[in-house]
Amino acid sequence: MTYQTSTKGKRWAVRLTPYLLIGSATIYLLVFIGVPLLQGARLSFTDTRLLNPSAGRWVGVDNYARLLTDGQFLGSIATTLLYTVLTVAATMFLGSVSAFTINHTFPGRAVARSLMVFPWAVPTVAVALVFRWIYNDNSGVANSALKTLGIGQVGWLTNPDFGLLSVIIATVWKISPFVMLVVLASLQSVPLELYEAAKVDGANPWKSFTTVTLPYILPTLKTVALLMTIWSFRRFEIIWLLTGGGPADATNTIVINVYRQAFNNSRLGFAAAIGMIGLLMSVVITVTYFIVEARTERKETRA
Amino acid sequence: MILRRHLSITARLLLATLLAALAGFPLYWMLATAITPSSQLFNGAQPLIPDFTRIPNAFQALAGGTPFLRWMTNSGIVAGGTTIFSLLLATLAAYALSRYRFRGKGLIGFGFFATQMLPEALLVVPMYSLFMSLGLLNQLHGLIMVDTAIATPVATWVLKAAIDTVPYEIEEAGLLDGCGPLRVLGRIVVPIIAPSLAAAGVICFFDGWGEYLFATTFIEDKSRWVASTGLASFIGEFETPLDLVFSAALIFTIPAIIFFVIVQRRIVSGLAAGSVKG
Repeated sequence: MTYQTSTKGKRWAVRLTPYLLIGSATIYLLVFIGVPLLQGARLSFTDTRLLNPSAGRWVGVDNYARLLTDGQFLGSIATTLLYTVLTVAATMFLGSVSAFTINHTFPGRAVARSLMVFPWAVPTVAVALVFRWIYNDNSGVANSALKTLGIGQVGWLTNPDFGLLSVIIATVWKISPFVMLVVLASLQSVPLELYEAAKVDGANPWKSFTTVTLPYILPTLKTVALLMTIWSFRRFEIIWLLTGGGPADATNTIVINVYRQAFNNSRLGFAAAIGMIGLLMSVVITVTYFIVEARTERKETRA
Repeated sequence: MILRRHLSITARLLLATLLAALAGFPLYWMLATAITPSSQLFNGAQPLIPDFTRIPNAFQALAGGTPFLRWMTNSGIVAGGTTIFSLLLATLAAYALSRYRFRGKGLIGFGFFATQMLPEALLVVPMYSLFMSLGLLNQLHGLIMVDTAIATPVATWVLKAAIDTVPYEIEEAGLLDGCGPLRVLGRIVVPIIAPSLAAAGVICFFDGWGEYLFATTFIEDKSRWVASTGLASFIGEFETPLDLVFSAALIFTIPAIIFFVIVQRRIVSGLAAGSVKG
């Protein structure tokens, strides 16, 4: 009898174990992320203002309806997409090239590798400070260089035609090392036997790259690209600290727009609605990614 | 054949030099600006190669009278706390996600991933009111709690991938010896995934060390500011000499780089464990 009770108790304990293990993190995230998210969702249906937050009234979908004709918001969608596509393309390219370069031995490799990953460690505020100084109209080294080349100066952060480009350059500088590290890790886990087999088959370096390396690291590349995309979609700090959304809204991405509406115009409800749309777009991108992934996987197993 | 090898090494060396120069220049410029007297910085007068005998000036922001040391200490407290709590929560969660089948696992896993899509700008207002009602505003431990929420999902992900690669047989031995799951995790699994713990730890540390938006919104009291808030307060302000500002930026950057260098080797192998399965 006692024996039975104890196994029954044990089975319960085994069943409960995973929930106890994951419970602390889950509850933590529910309280500190889930609850604020629900609050944000609720806010988006009200006309709450920053100065008197308790006086907000329920306005239904008014905020969302207003967004459809809000030129600044529609512009911010285009800016966000452009920023995301260019940033992801540039970081994936630069990060992968860096990883391939550093994956082979050459003199000075350790130093080069360290220098190439350091930007990832630099705090965003410091990145913003140094790039603002490099981009400075009259005193920045970027314009000094252009002057020496006889091109004349560019308003890196003051000319609406250049604002987004300048912000993208600073972003790419800071986050490419992350791509490099992950791709490097993946490259180093390719089994050497595969390369030897390719060599035996008479494959030249390019052939062994396309038939061995690329297929092996492709899943990693895809995952990193997805992460880079959703992180770029919501990136706030570096853009805010470099331009604050300017010049003339040139870098006014969706999240910058959220912050400005909330804190500069004190329209909390309206800002929350913009944030919810931004979140929704991220979810659509991610879900699309997983659906496409699942489909290609199914096709591959069938073939 | 030998010629071709030489060519490819030369090409690789050139490319690496170019990439390293591009990556290194802004850091070099931070240093160069910090050790050049303010009077020589403006209107294109800044020398490309500074007077390196002035290197000690790179640390002028640490001198008495500036609040920077205090802000850095605060950043250190926040980053340290964030790393400890996130790794603790993430290790437990990752072990459950990797080793157990249970109802709601897919949903929880997706929930963790979904946090990566949430814009902080959307959360900052509701979180502000939540923290106000909990009495956690204007407190460093409040900031640790925010940053832990931000860092835990990514850390969980890295650690789950690492635990996935640990053969289960190794644990079975421990389980047969009558160890509970926590013991098995702490005595057997954690030592094996140490590189991934280091990788996850760096990610958490950087989240706490450099975070700006919540730090600036939640902490009003200037003596409790973290370095990112303090440093950002110099942007668009012209009273503080620029070389002093860059000295502060440099000093804020150096600990992160040192920390990174210490665990750098482990990061690659730690991330490798996670990237095998993609």
